[in-house]
Amino acid sequence: MNNTFDIQRFGLLLKRKWLEFGKIYLITLAVVFGVILAAYAIAFWPVFTGLEPFNERKISFRVPLFIGLGFLFLTAVASSYFAHLGQKPKTIIDLLIPASTFEKFLAGVFFTGILSTISYLLIFFLTDVVFVANLQDAARDKVYFFSIVRHGLYAPVYILPLFVTSIFLLGSVYFEKFHYIKTALSVMVFIGVWMAVVFKSGELLTRGRHAVENNPIVHSGDKSPLECMLTLLLIVLTIVFWVITYLRLKEKEV
Amino acid sequence: MIEIKNLNFGYSKKKLLFKDLSMQLKAGHIYGLLGKNGAGKSSLLKNMAGLVYAFSGKIDVIGYNPAKRQPALLKEICFIPEEFYLPSVKIDSYVKANAAFYSNFDHNYFGDLLAEFDIPVDQKLVNMSYGQKKKLIIAFGLATKAQLIIMDEPTNGLDIPSKAQFRKIMAAALTDDRCIIISTHQVRDLDNLIDTVIMLDESCVALKASVEEITKKLCFKRIKELDDTVIYAEPSLSGYHALMPNYHDEDSKLDMELLFNAVLAEKIKIKAAFN
Amino acid sequence: MEFRDNKAIYLQIAEYVCDHILLEKWKTDEKVPSVREMAVDLEVNPNTVMRTYELLQNKNIINNKRGIGFFVTENAVANVKSYRRGEFMDNELPSVFRNIYLLNIGFNELENRYNTYVKETFNV
Repeated sequence: MNNTFDIQRFGLLLKRKWLEFGKIYLITLAVVFGVILAAYAIAFWPVFTGLEPFNERKISFRVPLFIGLGFLFLTAVASSYFAHLGQKPKTIIDLLIPASTFEKFLAGVFFTGILSTISYLLIFFLTDVVFVANLQDAARDKVYFFSIVRHGLYAPVYILPLFVTSIFLLGSVYFEKFHYIKTALSVMVFIGVWMAVVFKSGELLTRGRHAVENNPIVHSGDKSPLECMLTLLLIVLTIVFWVITYLRLKEKEV
Repeated sequence: MIEIKNLNFGYSKKKLLFKDLSMQLKAGHIYGLLGKNGAGKSSLLKNMAGLVYAFSGKIDVIGYNPAKRQPALLKEICFIPEEFYLPSVKIDSYVKANAAFYSNFDHNYFGDLLAEFDIPVDQKLVNMSYGQKKKLIIAFGLATKAQLIIMDEPTNGLDIPSKAQFRKIMAAALTDDRCIIISTHQVRDLDNLIDTVIMLDESCVALKASVEEITKKLCFKRIKELDDTVIYAEPSLSGYHALMPNYHDEDSKLDMELLFNAVLAEKIKIKAAFN
Repeated sequence: MEFRDNKAIYLQIAEYVCDHILLEKWKTDEKVPSVREMAVDLEVNPNTVMRTYELLQNKNIINNKRGIGFFVTENAVANVKSYRRGEFMDNELPSVFRNIYLLNIGFNELENRYNTYVKETFNV
């Protein structure tokens, strides 16, 4: 018997986790779906009923909605995944289920990082397709939401879902209570401190000097070194958060 | 089955719960773990199951280190905690989700146990009382056919008929390859079920002996008057319940409560009687 | 089964088995309940029942046919009686004697009492 990873056991673990986690997960997803639907309905209703003609401004709500709601959904799911480990009786059962800690951790990554992202993208894009396809406008091919992706996004964006969920997954195993708030606060404090350090040091380093070029990043080509660096940084940070999560899970005591 | 060597454990380094604790547990026995509140009964059980980590020392369970939480060992452990949680699903979906992890899970045996415990099969777990839930996890745990069965206060919350059913089930569950450890305050519920007594006191094992050994060394008697031989006695209606060295090879019935109090009060004399 | 407080459990179980044999509920060459059945029935540890069966085997009251179980021996009734006799003489008689002595009861009175009791109870 492989004591680290066994694909069959991992499958069982996903199934078992789904039994507990699935209901809340589906309800959350339904709420998200409802919000998307409502937003689209409000924006498209006057167009469908012929009260107003369609214009691009009507759909400008999509990007902020997509980002905002996506962030909320992913972080909510991630920060609730290991939240029950703050309760003794639930922890005992979870720790004693005959699967390895690695498998238990991997199930967490699967549900929070992968399944959540995919299901969110799917319902958002599908809703969008359904609404946009019903436009009587010739320009509708251009306004499908997923057409944004056609030109390629800023590379680090692809990593963002995993990065964000990895932070909140860690938060859910790290804190005993109020996982979401505490994680969010920690992230904010961390960013605040970091920004302060960067600005202060920048100020100190550049004191009494002039900036020669205004903004070199904007002018550079397709995939700038910064873009690659940032992507790499996010990947590394995501992995670091995952490793810490795994270690915390391993050290968990009742 | 279980070997503990020089275990040092505590929730803070300053105040150790166990100091250099060592013991060996064998298959084919039902061990009764006794001790005052806070003596560390639950903590010892958790150490065996790998739910907590010791500062130092060695624990070996069927050749594994429980702290590593390897699936091969976890499937051989049935742990019935005092407080537990069950998801709000029906019994058969609970079994479907959990039984497959245990390669030896016996569905027929599980059915028999449910019947014996009077648990309706198509019931939702949320609608069950604490006692019924407890019976369910006991039935599930036994049906996993795990070699090591650890129970923390299993009779808490069971009604009178359920306690009798529990004793019957545990009597049937003891096989030569199984080791059963039960911690309890309710000594009267279980005293005929336990064949070896382990008593924890003051961060070490105050007594670990089989019922046979204990009654060979000590005699539990009702007497009218106290004399020098008595190690410990408690007054009763017709004199005293007394515990004394067994000089005349008498076969008395072990009185677990009296023994418990005697060990707490007269640790040195009891130790002496066993050496 | 209710156990009494004054006697080791394994001995009380032995008594229980002996009673069944004397009352001919379990007859010669019949199988007695297995260790497990007995343990479940009486809600006691199987190791305790095993101890009882070992004792009864030593007294030649039951014997172990390997792989099948325990059976009542041919001379079980006689052996039970002699075992019980020993138990009575060693364990119970001393306290009876103690009372006889303390209360100054004469042997003649005892004999009369005994005869009446037997006549009334067993119709002999």
